[in-house]
Amino acid sequence: MSEPSPDTGNLITVEEEDEPHIRLRDMGVEDVIVLAVFWVLALNIFVQFFTRYALNSSLAWTEEIARYLLMTVGFVGSIMVVRKNTHIMVEFFYRYIPGLTARVLSVLIDLGRIAFFSMTAWICFKLAGRTHQMMVSIDFPKSWLYYMISVCLAAMAIRAVQVAIRHFRQGGSDMALAAVARRREVESGTQGP
Amino acid sequence: MTRKFAPRLNTLLIIIAGLSAGALAWEGHHVSFLFVSVFLMLIVGVPVAISLAASSLLFVLITGQVPDFVVVHRMVNGVDSFPLLAIPFFILAGSLMNAVGITDRIFAFATACVGWLHGGLGHVNIGASVIFAGMSGAAVADAGGLGTIEIKAMRDAGYDADFSVGVTAASSTIGPIIPPSLPMVIYGVMASASVGQLFAAGFIPGLLMAGALMLMVAWFAHRRNYPRDATFSVATLGRTFLRAFLSLMTPVIIVGGILTGAFTPTEAATAAVIYALFLGLVVYRTLTWRRFIAVSMETIETTAIILLIVAGASIFAWLLTSNRVTEQLTALIGDVTTNKILVLLILNVILFIVGFFMETVAAITILVPVLLPIATSVGVDPVHFGVIMVLNLMIGLLTPPVGMVLYVLSRVSGVPFERCTKATLPFLIPLVAVLLLVTYVPVFSMWLPTLIYR
Repeated sequence: MSEPSPDTGNLITVEEEDEPHIRLRDMGVEDVIVLAVFWVLALNIFVQFFTRYALNSSLAWTEEIARYLLMTVGFVGSIMVVRKNTHIMVEFFYRYIPGLTARVLSVLIDLGRIAFFSMTAWICFKLAGRTHQMMVSIDFPKSWLYYMISVCLAAMAIRAVQVAIRHFRQGGSDMALAAVARRREVESGTQGP
Repeated sequence: MTRKFAPRLNTLLIIIAGLSAGALAWEGHHVSFLFVSVFLMLIVGVPVAISLAASSLLFVLITGQVPDFVVVHRMVNGVDSFPLLAIPFFILAGSLMNAVGITDRIFAFATACVGWLHGGLGHVNIGASVIFAGMSGAAVADAGGLGTIEIKAMRDAGYDADFSVGVTAASSTIGPIIPPSLPMVIYGVMASASVGQLFAAGFIPGLLMAGALMLMVAWFAHRRNYPRDATFSVATLGRTFLRAFLSLMTPVIIVGGILTGAFTPTEAATAAVIYALFLGLVVYRTLTWRRFIAVSMETIETTAIILLIVAGASIFAWLLTSNRVTEQLTALIGDVTTNKILVLLILNVILFIVGFFMETVAAITILVPVLLPIATSVGVDPVHFGVIMVLNLMIGLLTPPVGMVLYVLSRVSGVPFERCTKATLPFLIPLVAVLLLVTYVPVFSMWLPTLIYR
């Protein structure tokens, strides 16, 4: 689904395998935030579970908070996904296009993505300004949720710029570079004996 | 000649598609523009979530039907859903179970159960997948975790790599049919169907798949004279059962909790995580901090990827409904035929073709708003259609060019992708047979949910 994680490669030796390496250098600020929010969400859900089965009554606010926390995990986590560039995308077409087209497309996609995140961040900011509702079970303005998402979308735009620069330096996205390499192989194959 | 020519032709096609999208927008065919734009973005490798959301945003900006903030509002509200909470916790439970190392215990127990049959490890493979299906909700996780152990064991026992890969690939698709199941949760959210009912509906079809695959293995074993891999002994069975007992309780808790109606899907996911933590921290003590954080980060990443797609699909689906596109499509199919059998066949063929090119989550979110109204218009229950759709797309995981399970297995087994594809081909026959059976005999999927919930 996402990029192959390092430890699914050779699970045969799972018992003797070294601990997975977590390099702090490779973690962004968003990773730390989202990890914390995720475990707050998990604790919230555990509490909800126990109150329902042990105390036989559920606390209404835990359910609403859980939904907002999940959305936070989704949007803050998306910043990480943009940085790592592990979105689900259709890749098979890149096998059937020439390298130049692949490179041009990869630049266009990067630019489009930056434009999309910047625009939605701005739209979401406007939306937050128009939202005067309160959350249902807790006395807290709902606009804060939209401000948070707006910040996340802006952060995605920034990460997308970084990814675009990286792609530009290496001459195209990883998908495009793979396409270029494959075409070279095919061309040298047809010219050879 | 064609090899050098075709790529340039494809470049030309992309340019033509881009120009026609522009022309459609200019000429005022806005709905067609929406479809062409989504399709074009998908094919050139724009992330699925952005293809859907950006096309919708363009549509709204061009038509001015609704203010632009409706797009963001719909996206955000699309993920503001309680059933979606089951997604991270089922992913977390599955990864924790893999990290804690319970898979080999389950495999040993399955060997003691069915290893004495001819072609024993083939049957073991399927049996272990059924047990694992009761705790994991994604076929790819099943293939990557349990599949690795299965392929290694079969190779060590002298089975040829092709047979091992084929059985493993085919049996991993049982995972998302037997509850818990991520695709079913996503279908439930997109279709506003009860996830609990969908889970119950998948149980019997999952067992049917296992049965059909075992028949296929038995046939191979008979024709190729595969040996028995173990002798049956009550002592071994008892010993492996005791060793695997606590692991085996996981599917009992999850599936039992869901089928008796004691747990909602989210609660079942919570229970699974708590139980996995209990096994990893208290019983087997195999869960370390590093593993714990690595598993959490993986879960968060997968969750975020899925949620953003659901967000993008929500605005796309909303535009399709508010522009009455789904109504028109339903009428269009209604003009061709109103025969339930034929309509179901058409829907299955569409799903099958899409399964070749698209990943499961993306396919479900895009196709539910388009195809579900057609299915319900001929009287198919949304829960029944959910099982058909997920089962069909699972088969798509085994077909190139976008066969996620094949990629994973090719990587863990070292067998080239093309050979994995060929090796899996014969096992598509029993799976397609079960798909047809489930499609045309609704009782297999609808009996349990009717019994429990209706």
